[in-house]
Amino acid sequence: MERQSRLFSIFVHASALLLAAVILAPVVWLFVMSISPAADLSAKPLSWWPSDIELSRYRTLLSAIENSAGAAFIAALINSLMVAGMATLAAIVVAVPAAWAVSRTPAVSWSLYAVIATYMLPPVALAVPLYMGLAYFGLLNTVFGLALVYLTILAPFTTWLLKSGFDAIPREIESAAMIDGARLDQILRLLTLPLAAPVMATSALFAFLLAWDEFFYALLFTSDLRAKTLTVAIADLAGGRVSDYGLIATAGVLAALPPVLIGLIMQRALISGLTSGGVKG
Amino acid sequence: MSALEIRNIQKRYGDVETLKGIDIALESGEFLVLLGSSGCGKSTLLNIIAGLAEPSGGDILIGERSILSAHPKDRDIAMVFQSYALYPDMSVARNIGFGLEMRKVPAAEREKAVRDTARLLQIENLLDRKPSQLSGGQRQRVAIGRALVRNPRVFLFDEPLSNLDAKLRMEMRTELKRLHQMLKTTVVYVTHDQIEAMTLATRIAVMRDGRIEQLGTPAEIYDRPATLYVAGFVGSPPMNILDAEIVGHQVRIARSDEVLPLPRDFKRTTVSSGPVKVGIRPEALRLADFGASGARLIADVEVMELTGPELVTTATIGGQRITACLPPRTALATGSTQAFSFDEAALHLFDPESGRSLRAA
Repeated sequence: MERQSRLFSIFVHASALLLAAVILAPVVWLFVMSISPAADLSAKPLSWWPSDIELSRYRTLLSAIENSAGAAFIAALINSLMVAGMATLAAIVVAVPAAWAVSRTPAVSWSLYAVIATYMLPPVALAVPLYMGLAYFGLLNTVFGLALVYLTILAPFTTWLLKSGFDAIPREIESAAMIDGARLDQILRLLTLPLAAPVMATSALFAFLLAWDEFFYALLFTSDLRAKTLTVAIADLAGGRVSDYGLIATAGVLAALPPVLIGLIMQRALISGLTSGGVKG
Repeated sequence: MSALEIRNIQKRYGDVETLKGIDIALESGEFLVLLGSSGCGKSTLLNIIAGLAEPSGGDILIGERSILSAHPKDRDIAMVFQSYALYPDMSVARNIGFGLEMRKVPAAEREKAVRDTARLLQIENLLDRKPSQLSGGQRQRVAIGRALVRNPRVFLFDEPLSNLDAKLRMEMRTELKRLHQMLKTTVVYVTHDQIEAMTLATRIAVMRDGRIEQLGTPAEIYDRPATLYVAGFVGSPPMNILDAEIVGHQVRIARSDEVLPLPRDFKRTTVSSGPVKVGIRPEALRLADFGASGARLIADVEVMELTGPELVTTATIGGQRITACLPPRTALATGSTQAFSFDEAALHLFDPESGRSLRAA
């Protein structure tokens, strides 16, 4: 629209601001909680703005003294990074050939729908079989075991995303390269995968977030510092006799940082992936 | 020795027969156009030649050697796609040289070949650009360059001009004709545009429902269409087709008193009476005096459209429409009754049942 009435543009901006406020309010409150003194958080009426800025909780959680809350938190952070990282990497490695095959051979696309059927089962239905399976292989309470479980969640999801990405790349380009004498691995390496890079980045990011936020399986299949992830560690903070809401909020802020950083780094790829791949976030 | 021989090629998808036995033999240097409306099987045939699809039966020979079991890269063909199918992340130079790169041609030799091809297509100044920085016509040239550089035995074109606007399409058509005259390569070219087919081809195969309706030179297709379908498909405006009846040695136009002499070429055919379809091209009709002798039709003028070079006139005879392409300054009035004359040789007769031409062989 070239011309807009002033009222209309005020309306558009107000709507945008409202949306931003709704999305950002919990995050802002989380941050405010993390720097408020404990007294402020239990005061009645609640004080929305900290009377004093308190950073001691950040020090507590980031300290590396043995057997402290900080050590547990940092161990959980590292576990989360490892589990989510491994699961994401494995999911992409599995999903790229599968998605390409399904995209180029529509006759086998039924297999994707079959995979989706497993998605319909509630996680709790799979918990017992998975637990017994992991126990049998001695993978309970290990990051590898948890990553393996996450792979089963991430692989179908990334395959779907990547398939729509590959669908957007014309087959004729691959036909032309085939006539030009390129082998299959050359076609994928030189043409298809570079074109699919934005979608691959998008899928990887969403997969990472999914694994990072997972709580249910992590709670069931891990029991101590060797494998416990951040989501479980944060829940532990709330489970003690005295809950420090500020400490939970601080852990939340810190847990949000890695995905946000990755998102910022991959921003450009993410945006083009979201727009070009027919992927809706 | 034929450069390309297509022997009884068939293609079935389940119960659907897309190609019902195609036979064509091409001499070296021929420009064959597969012409037909969408769904006639022309692109399937091209893909089978290229090796992108497998036939259900039949054989294809290039230089007397069956290529059906060969991989597309080993068939000595190059293909230009409708969507150009350029490699988006690579420069124009690498796009053109990609086939040579994959065939491990040394870099120096490759560069020279790319440069020569670019000069031929007048795209030397674009070699460092990416496809996204090119116009439609330039992309088309790069796609052609990618095919040319490998100097294959047979070129395959899949509707290469259909994504261009009208003016550019004419330019590129002339360009393709120039290249073919210069390089004398064997070409198989798929299109649904009859003008492209007429201007470019040395031979046209008009296809319909997985069969070849007629295979012949552009002049044969235009002057002696073998079926009603071919007659209606080639030519713009299309040939007038009128319901008529043979009575003795004359043809009577249905629901009118108009009578035409039975043309010489059709006299020896077996039909001596009964219904028939009469075909006459709009451009064969001329304005005539009522008293003039020879073949003529009298019709009521309904609509006149001046296109610039000609006056397209629509008239009716016994309720049937007939179109005539007249010189632009013809004095005519809507609603008037006019006589149109034509050469007896311009008349075509078709069997109304089979649609086949009744021309004596």
